[in-house]
Amino acid sequence: MAAEIGTGMVAIAAGLAIGLTGLASGLAERDVGAAAVGAITEDATLFGKTMVLMVLPETIVIFGLVVAILMIFVM
Amino acid sequence: MDEAIDAVYSIGSVHLVDHIGGSDEGFDIGAPLEHSSKASERLLKVRAAGKELGVNVAKMAYNPEPKPAKKVRAKIKGSEVEALEKKVFGIIDERNAVQQRAAALAADLDVLRRLSSFDVPLEHYSGYRSLTVFVGTVREDPTKALGAVGITDVLFDMPKKAARGTVLAFVPNEGAEAASATLAKHGYTEMAYPELTGTPAEAVPGLSDDLAKAEARIEELNLELAKLSEEYATTIAAFDEELSIMVEKGETPLRIAVSDYSFVMDGWIPTAEVDAVSAALDARFDGTVHMEVQEERGRKLEESEKAEKRFRDPPTKADNGALGKHFEYPTSLVSTPKYQEIDPSTIIGIFLPFFFGLMVGDLGYAIPFIILGAYGLKVAKSQEFQAIASVLFFGGIWAAIFGFFFFAEMLGMHFVGAATETSTTWEALLGVTLPEWFTGMFPSLDGGGHVGISKLHDAVFMLKLSVYIGIVHLAVSYFLGFVNILRQHGFAHAMHEKGGWLFSLFGISFLCYGLSLALFGPEIVLTDMAIRTIAIGAVLIAIGVAVCWKVEKSHAIMGLLSVMGNILSYTRLAAIGMSKAGMALAFNYMSILMLGPNGIVGAVAGFAVFVVGHMMIWVLAIISAGLHGLRLQYVEMMAKFFAGDGVKYDPLAIKRVHTEVLETEV
Repeated sequence: MAAEIGTGMVAIAAGLAIGLTGLASGLAERDVGAAAVGAITEDATLFGKTMVLMVLPETIVIFGLVVAILMIFVM
Repeated sequence: MDEAIDAVYSIGSVHLVDHIGGSDEGFDIGAPLEHSSKASERLLKVRAAGKELGVNVAKMAYNPEPKPAKKVRAKIKGSEVEALEKKVFGIIDERNAVQQRAAALAADLDVLRRLSSFDVPLEHYSGYRSLTVFVGTVREDPTKALGAVGITDVLFDMPKKAARGTVLAFVPNEGAEAASATLAKHGYTEMAYPELTGTPAEAVPGLSDDLAKAEARIEELNLELAKLSEEYATTIAAFDEELSIMVEKGETPLRIAVSDYSFVMDGWIPTAEVDAVSAALDARFDGTVHMEVQEERGRKLEESEKAEKRFRDPPTKADNGALGKHFEYPTSLVSTPKYQEIDPSTIIGIFLPFFFGLMVGDLGYAIPFIILGAYGLKVAKSQEFQAIASVLFFGGIWAAIFGFFFFAEMLGMHFVGAATETSTTWEALLGVTLPEWFTGMFPSLDGGGHVGISKLHDAVFMLKLSVYIGIVHLAVSYFLGFVNILRQHGFAHAMHEKGGWLFSLFGISFLCYGLSLALFGPEIVLTDMAIRTIAIGAVLIAIGVAVCWKVEKSHAIMGLLSVMGNILSYTRLAAIGMSKAGMALAFNYMSILMLGPNGIVGAVAGFAVFVVGHMMIWVLAIISAGLHGLRLQYVEMMAKFFAGDGVKYDPLAIKRVHTEVLETEV
């Protein structure tokens, strides 16, 4: 019984890890993305630079994903 | 000078350096050639006429039948541009005049229709000495209010559902002020009426006849314009091109140095083409043109820093192999490489399709990618679509290789194995047993349980694999950075700026590997192996930080975290593959459930889910795998060595689309 509860807890924790980091990435990308689109309309050559800025917050959710996967498969 | 400019353009490999007034004694900026102002005037005329005719030269990127340039020039000289302009604007002017008349007629008609219920001839509306006439529209009936101030000669009409009524009032001059005030309270607006004779109702048919005639004429003129547009589209394009060339050549003297008796053109020429340019100039001018190679710029930054400002940045001519050429576009989206640095296009060309293929990793999706990519490479004209097509093509090939030999998977189903409750395989689905030699080709992690690597079951293996790939990719990036600095500043600099990071990268890799050995078991065990790897890692990091310290200071330590972040960032290679495999599993499960017991309807519905679902995954694959693959190049790789901000090599040359120079006229 205790083991089953433990497995459930791990699953919930993994879900939280990916969900919350996803939310955080989304919030950050919302702002960056809006500014990036504005900048590109002004000057299309900025595409490369804005793209780099745009994807930087994704790192957060990737860390979340790694943590979630480690939880499920390792713990 | 005319001929020299012509010659340089026809050689097509001189990147002109703009002369800056006052930088050489006795020389100044030249004046445009004589014919240039006439040409630009004509160019304006052609463009104006083209715009009126709806001919968009910029959009006509391809012309199957270019016109001979000589004939086009002869036509331009023969004032055909002016003739064309006259023809077009003759029609346009007439159309404008008729349109104006039609608008006036329509307005008059509107007024007459409003007045047509009053039986008063129009000539009686004016010409009184003691009477003021009010003609206009009001919000509501003013008859009573006007009667109250003693004005009775009032006609009013308000058609049903109309917002405003029409009023016609004949008022003695002395009552005009009172009438005006009363009418104003009812929202009176004066109406201009046409000066005709007879009652308004009588005048309507004549006027509407005129209006119809005018409208017919406008239609006729529009047709004529459409005909002209069709007839002259290619001519206009040819004129536009030839005149643009004339103007560009004519304005070239503004960029070169001219003295009273001579002129000097400064420019960069690719080292390999110097002899050819020199020979071409000699042949054309019989030695009267003097060409001199001032300097051969090396790749060291110091050389550039010493040079005069306008000669400081030599242009960069992309020189990539067959593969790299296809991937110059992604590089150019970031910036043009500097003359002194490595062009990352080839590296992108190697890794981007590889990453794309690893993320897609399915034979079923790979085949359409290859077909679409090959078709795009053949058909696409623009640089953007060429770049996308090459990613799809080369990425598709990698996806096919990974999908077949590594994952042994097609459309989310493995080739070999037994069906389980939620997933099936091609073997189980088709009810066959594949031969031993076929099954033996594929790798298996759990000794035959799953044949082929499963993206979902072997997630930890996939994560590790993508981290290792990331370490290789990052090592390549730091190494390229090292080579860049080595070329620009020398070995010591290169070690301080990039070499140290290479040590740190490997140090972190060892350290993390050791830590994962120790920590990720059921309980924490420090084996000899773990201790040794951790120690190696720590030593390497220490060396890396020490080497970098001189240039990077505290960033040498802070940066370690971001290196770790970069390495982990590559786990997206596994994660995106997993997400696609998960979706494919779900769609396959759904369609097989429907297929089974539900007869014909179930079969159709199941097949529809199967097709639509996989199409969706396929389209998403372009976006997720393509963009994330590109991001890994931009953020993780190019940030390590690419500075950009170079000047694109843009030699003086003529590009003809709508005209062509025939052999005979050279």
